[in-house]
Amino acid sequence: MPSAIFTIGRSGLTASRLSLELTAQNVANAANPDYSRRSLTQSELVMTGNIGIGASADSLGGVRPGVVVRAESALVQRQARDTSSGLAAAETEFFAMREAESALETSGLFTGLVAFEAALTRLEGNPLEPALRLSALESVRTMAANFRVADSTLANARSLVQDEAAAMVPDINELAAELAKVNRDLVASREGTAGRAALLDARDKALRGLAEEFGIAATINANGTADVTIDAAPPVALVTGGVAASVNLAFAADGTLAFDIGGTAFAPTGGAMAGRAAALDQMVGLQTGVDSLAASVIAIANTAQSAGVDTDGNPGQPLLSGTSAADIDVALASANGLATAPAGAPAGSRDTGNLAALLASLGAATGPAAGADTLLLGLSSRVSALDTRREGLGIVAASAEGELLRATGVDLDTEAANLVRLQQAFEANSRVIQVATELFDTLLGLR
Amino acid sequence: MSFISNSAGSFFNRSLAQMADLRAGIERQQTQIATGVRIERGSDDPAAAAQLRSIARREALAGVEGDNAAQLDQDLGAASTELEAVTALLQRARELAVQAANDPTGVDGRQAIAFELEQLSEELFTRANATSLTGEPLFAGLSSGTAFTRDGLGNVIYTGTPASGAVPVAPGTVIDRGLPGNAVFEFVSGGTPTSAFAVLGGLAAALGGGSPDPAGAANAALEGIDAALDTAGRAQTIIGTRMAWVDQVQQQQDTRGVALAERRSRIGDTDIAEAIARLQQSLTALEASQAAFTRVSSLSLFDALR
Repeated sequence: MPSAIFTIGRSGLTASRLSLELTAQNVANAANPDYSRRSLTQSELVMTGNIGIGASADSLGGVRPGVVVRAESALVQRQARDTSSGLAAAETEFFAMREAESALETSGLFTGLVAFEAALTRLEGNPLEPALRLSALESVRTMAANFRVADSTLANARSLVQDEAAAMVPDINELAAELAKVNRDLVASREGTAGRAALLDARDKALRGLAEEFGIAATINANGTADVTIDAAPPVALVTGGVAASVNLAFAADGTLAFDIGGTAFAPTGGAMAGRAAALDQMVGLQTGVDSLAASVIAIANTAQSAGVDTDGNPGQPLLSGTSAADIDVALASANGLATAPAGAPAGSRDTGNLAALLASLGAATGPAAGADTLLLGLSSRVSALDTRREGLGIVAASAEGELLRATGVDLDTEAANLVRLQQAFEANSRVIQVATELFDTLLGLR
Repeated sequence: MSFISNSAGSFFNRSLAQMADLRAGIERQQTQIATGVRIERGSDDPAAAAQLRSIARREALAGVEGDNAAQLDQDLGAASTELEAVTALLQRARELAVQAANDPTGVDGRQAIAFELEQLSEELFTRANATSLTGEPLFAGLSSGTAFTRDGLGNVIYTGTPASGAVPVAPGTVIDRGLPGNAVFEFVSGGTPTSAFAVLGGLAAALGGGSPDPAGAANAALEGIDAALDTAGRAQTIIGTRMAWVDQVQQQQDTRGVALAERRSRIGDTDIAEAIARLQQSLTALEASQAAFTRVSSLSLFDALR
């Protein structure tokens, strides 16, 4: 039957044209990171020509274009999401802590303390020289100012992290709402259509976006919808079917982050938010460290002052005022007030006994200079360790990303080969129709 | 149909990451060469940064200690100069006393000697109250006032403190700033505590007519003058020893300064030769990987199909 040849040729033409369209779509989306490559299933079409027992051979019907299949690998997707959560956590924490490191290193906390110590040592050489006394007092002023700079730059680093966290919360809620909408649309979508494939792309994109900010556990249901639970203590549901919850963020008095969903507080364990929370927790420790350093300098200086007498033989007055890095300041009005001589020394004594005691407590192994050094060493070691971890996780995340792209991405070489193959198939099918036409013409031309 | 596909996206991602790594390395090396410092921030090398901080502190303190030592050297030098003059002065007084003890010296002669001794006594008083270049008294111990004062009766009294302070010139090393005046001008002669001022003043008064036996008084004063000379000589020796000590400490400071600088350089400075070689290596690698990227990225089947 020449008409069957027509039908077969036409079905082949349709199938190869549809496949060509999909190939073109794949090539067009080669640079789209959220796109998963598509392919078309095909099945042979066979028709039964007559009714009855002992029927003759089946008649052939050509090919039937099947459904659009989206390359998918739930495992690889999940791996990519989890590693990107881990990387985002390490990276955010690293950058935040590096900010804090810069803040403390450039504030001159340590150099200020050393300059103070050096000025006092110089004063020991000639304790009554007014220029030396003045320079010692000025070095105290500089040191106090450096403490205040450290305090404000640390506060600045903290508020940068807080602002970033606050700015990301609407994004997260937006992504969750989007995922809920995609879930609703997926329920209504028909299996094997290009529209459904596009919805699944949108679903995976939203999941990846969420995983950047929070470590998530995603459950992919049979109908393609995704339920999301945030990895946290305790785990909280973010998206359930078509309903998305909303994440709230608050700042505690010490600057740390407090998350809740519908009143249930949770502490995230992965993603950029966990990195920010961890960095802010450590900044609390840094702030305490800087404050206690300032307090110890104030205590040491004022204790030494009270144990000595100034140039006029009067008991020494407090050198520093304040209780923390934020409010440390010079309290002494005049350089003559520096109590270099021990108690009981007459006016104008060149005795440096009290100054030596002050220097000894400043330079002691438990003194502020050593404390500042320990604080900086601890911080830079932490940043260095975070950098190493970030690098390691970066490699893991990159390989998971590569794995995902291999599983779902577009390979231009394959597409080019497909293009040639499908073009040939299309031409071959049109040739089939041409042959059918000729056969038909031959039949019509019989005389 | 299953075959290994190499996604175009993953190839571009990989190439970009590799080139970004190389570029970051080159920038870092360039900064190291430009600043001469290997460690840009503490986290680059926490242990080395901590060492650098401790070296910076040591260097700051060593600089100050060096200044202290130089000033101490000056002060001790000034005290030594004064003591030399005091010794010469006491020797002259001794000559005068010997002269006065000789009977042939007449009344006029003794008057002249008494007059000169008074002048010498004045000079001694001035020298005992000499100050350093920075205006601090040299022989007043810890006091900043004058070392010796005259009371209403004209007696010279030591008003300084019996100890002089010490100056830190190196970690753990303190050197006394000078000698207190009582150790330089006061002594025990013939069992009684007295001072150079008392001896000279007493002799001058005796020779000026205060004594019926001026020659005997001069003879008796010789013992006191000798004791004064002894005391001044001893003080001179002590000061000289301390100056030698300060010199030695200064030399040690120089050596230590060089050692500290070397250490700092070894820990924190860029090894220029190595950095430049590494920079060249990275540049070559970057250029090569850029060239490779251009070649490989054009290796698409699309380019082959015409």
